[in-house]
Amino acid sequence: MEEEEEEKIMPLRPDLQGPLEIPPNEHRLQYVWNLWYSNRSTKRNYDQNLRQICRFGTVEGFWRCYQWLKRPSYLSLQSIYHLFKEGIKPMWEFPSNINGGTWKLWVRKGVIDRCWENLLLAVVGEQFDVGDEICGIVVCVRNQEDTLSIWNKTASDQRLVEGIRKKLVEVLQLPSNTLMEYKSHTQAMKETFPGHKTFPQKHL
Amino acid sequence: MSASPAARQAVSQGIPMSRRININHESELPNDLSSTPGGSLFSTTPGGTRVYYDRNFMLSMRNSPLARTPPTNLPSIPGVTVPDNRPAKPDSRKSRDSDEDAKRLSAIDATAAAPAKDEDEQFQIEL
Repeated sequence: MEEEEEEKIMPLRPDLQGPLEIPPNEHRLQYVWNLWYSNRSTKRNYDQNLRQICRFGTVEGFWRCYQWLKRPSYLSLQSIYHLFKEGIKPMWEFPSNINGGTWKLWVRKGVIDRCWENLLLAVVGEQFDVGDEICGIVVCVRNQEDTLSIWNKTASDQRLVEGIRKKLVEVLQLPSNTLMEYKSHTQAMKETFPGHKTFPQKHL
Repeated sequence: MSASPAARQAVSQGIPMSRRININHESELPNDLSSTPGGSLFSTTPGGTRVYYDRNFMLSMRNSPLARTPPTNLPSIPGVTVPDNRPAKPDSRKSRDSDEDAKRLSAIDATAAAPAKDEDEQFQIEL
């Protein structure tokens, strides 16, 4: 039986668009963040698979969202959480990401929840201290080792990229032999879609 | 011998240093913070104040009443959101009708509550 085309457009939540009201009695964050969920085991396209789950701009708002979501180790295989700044979609071809890249690291199952939480706290709390460079972070639940990624805007700035790596090691308290890899989105796209020379322009 | 103007300029334009402040209460936020339509903060001085929160502060807010309130518009996604996201106080969950839900909730609570007990506790990494 042929798969039906279920959703043509990325399910942006109408109630999570527009300016976010910051309650005056809460602790405002430097940025407003959106959390997305997707699962790679479905046959739908990447962008059709993304679901915007929640949005927050305060410390309290972060916890309100986070405490009602399952930790990565409780998710099904191929599940992905994406936390991105307001206005940035978790897609390589999105304008803020197009010249960017990703640090990716492989984490043992037993520590993924704590690593993800530490990364969340550091990013939301603005601990990376690299201006506007951070776009978002991703955790992907996989068969063997799970992966964490951090996306930044400028893949060509080696000093900056190295600074992010050092902070990652510090925040996650990683052993020095942890497998880490930096790749520009352009490179990643070439490897994933060998025929394509430019990013697809749809859905922007 | 002298560096070209372009090179000197490059040297002088590092990543702008910003001031790091610990905010423990809203009242400590500077008065000159404003918000952009997207909700982000900026200060009146270029490269000036940004809002930082360290891990300990973030964790200390975890169990504040505002942080424990269930979000108003979290969708219910099986396998992703906590099974029952209706308003519930953490200590009232034990008396849930459904044993299954209670078990799953307490399992998640255990994960969520662990770091709050000892904020400095870190996981062990086997080398």
